[in-house]
Order: sequence, then structure tokens, then C-alpha cells
Amino acid sequence: MPLVAAAALPHTPQLLVRPETEDRDLVLRVHGALAEIKCGLAAARPDVICILGGDHIEGFFLTAVPALAVYVGSTVSGTFDRYRYTFDVHEPLARAVLEQGIGRGFDLAYSQDLALDYAFYVPLHFAMPEPRVPIVPLYVNVYLPPQPMPARCYAWGQALRAILDARPERIALVASGGLSHFPGSDRYDSPDYDWDRQMLDRLVAGRGRETAALTGEELDKVGNVEFRTWITLLGAVGDAKARVICYEPSWHHGNAVVTWPVE
Amino acid sequence: MSLHYTFPPAAGYPLNRCLYRLKSDDAFRERYLADPEATLRDAGLDVERIAALRALDRDRLIALGAHAYLVFMAGLRLKMATAPQTFERF
Repeated sequence: MPLVAAAALPHTPQLLVRPETEDRDLVLRVHGALAEIKCGLAAARPDVICILGGDHIEGFFLTAVPALAVYVGSTVSGTFDRYRYTFDVHEPLARAVLEQGIGRGFDLAYSQDLALDYAFYVPLHFAMPEPRVPIVPLYVNVYLPPQPMPARCYAWGQALRAILDARPERIALVASGGLSHFPGSDRYDSPDYDWDRQMLDRLVAGRGRETAALTGEELDKVGNVEFRTWITLLGAVGDAKARVICYEPSWHHGNAVVTWPVE
Repeated sequence: MSLHYTFPPAAGYPLNRCLYRLKSDDAFRERYLADPEATLRDAGLDVERIAALRALDRDRLIALGAHAYLVFMAGLRLKMATAPQTFERF
């Protein structure tokens, strides 16, 4: 059946563990937007949440760096500071995505044993509906060059949509990441918020397919290497017009919460 | 154009592995905080890399092959471990 929800959410760990340097009111406004997503997901009644995330060199260190991967275990766990997360994984769907993705020419890697990254559990901490539903973690390499090209991410999103539409489950598709930020670089305090705003305008206008033409160099230049997860989701939602729930630029990070109509 | 996130050179692997463990391995981080010099020496780093890492000298670390994100999150996790009261948890 068709997707029942689609959203892009931020995962910056300062939303979970706030340093004194982080504007508390801004953090709470982003929490409010994520609470709205949680309500929307509850209303959409998904059986499973497929979440596209970029690993922060947590589950995949330099032992192996897949461009695109699927987690195909029965549960998945991750830790951060005092937080301990374990999620049930929808194994039949994860396996179908892996096998059919390979069948469609996408050479996906898979894992049954990795530490879940905060790209996955920070958004789920705030937006997982109750009762909780299983997830399928879908990996897009964003931080370890050479990353997959935007056009490839978009094509994978298109294939993913075809796979998901043919499934019996009610599926929510979430992209985790962005927008502009430069963790660890000398541009940490000067993200490219103009790029973010112009991109959000394009997505609101239903011009998501244009993101397939972006280059990896541009994404790096504007602090949006993580935008690859959004581009993958855009391949899945096509020309649907985005709704921006919030865009909250902090001193180092453009926090965007966005949904797309899918039904 | 130089990228912000660059390919991690093989020569930087031991350094990146230490940064990764400071970020993600609680036991290694605790050992480091108890005895940084010995922990990094045992992990195979030389004097220059130990000095750069202990100072969290980003530019120097990156020049030695460190991945920028690993430098950032290793530093944040060390701060969260040494000054937990300065963070608000939700």
C-alpha cells in the first residue's frame, strides 16, 4: 500500500543533551515541531517507520563504509551519554528492501550487528508514536568521502518507493539530517542559511526532483552533506509539495522539520 | 575547492581510531580521562599525535589526517563526561 507519512527531521544531539551554549527557547521550539510530527505519525497509524539516516562514523567505522545499507536484524540498539535505546526492527520489510533493492540494481550493504547512530534515535526520541512501532534503519553515507552522488540517492529513493508501495504494511518514511551545519570544521559558526531557505522554498513549490542535479561538492560547500538523506526521500515522494513545520537556525545548525503529503 | 569532509588518509587511521573510541567507547574514554598519555601511547600514537589530541588542536589534528567530525564529537563527548552538570538532558 502507499506510504502513510513522509517527513524530514533534524537529529542534532544538542536537541537531546543541551549545552549551555545552545538557545533553550530554540531547542524547545524544535521539540514542539517534533511533537507535531509525533501526533501526525500517531494519526497516520504506521505499522513501521523506515528511517533514512547518515551514520556519524558510529555503526560503520573505517572497517567498512557502505554508500547505501540496510539494517536487517531483529532489534537495534544505540547509546549516547546516559541514554540507552533499543528498537524492534521490522525484519520482513528490511529484508524485502534489501533483496528487492539489490534486484533493482542498487548494491546495498547490510548489517545485523551495529551500534545505532544518533541520526536515528534522536528524531525517534521525540517523534516515535505510542505505542511504539518497529523501524527499518536505512543508511546513506554522508560523512566519509566518497559519498554517493545526489542523483544516485534520488534514484534509490524512487526504487525504494516502488518497493514500499508494493508492501502490505502501512509505512512512514522519515529522512534524518540537516540542514546546514559544519561540525568540526572552521565554519562551525557560519552555516549557509540562505541555501537552506532557498532549498525549502523549492521543496514547498514541489521542485524536489531538482535536488538530483546537485553535486557532492556543493553539498559539502554549504554544510549539507546530510542532505543526501533528504534527496533519497525526495526520490520517494516525487513532486509532492513540502510543508515546513519549522525552520530554526541556531548559531551553528539549521533545524528543519518538514512533511510531505503522500496519500 | 577544498572540502570540509575529506577522505581519511590511511596514515591517519590510528589517530582516527582513537578519536572514534573517545567518541563511542565509554571504557576507552574513561581510561583516557584517568591517564591520557598512557592510553594514547598504548593505542599506538606517537608524541606529536598525543600532544595534538590532548590539546584537541583541530587544525593540527586535521593536518595529521583526522576526520573533522570525529574531532568535533570526541571533544563534545569528553566535555559531556567531564562537565556533565553543564548539560540539560531531555
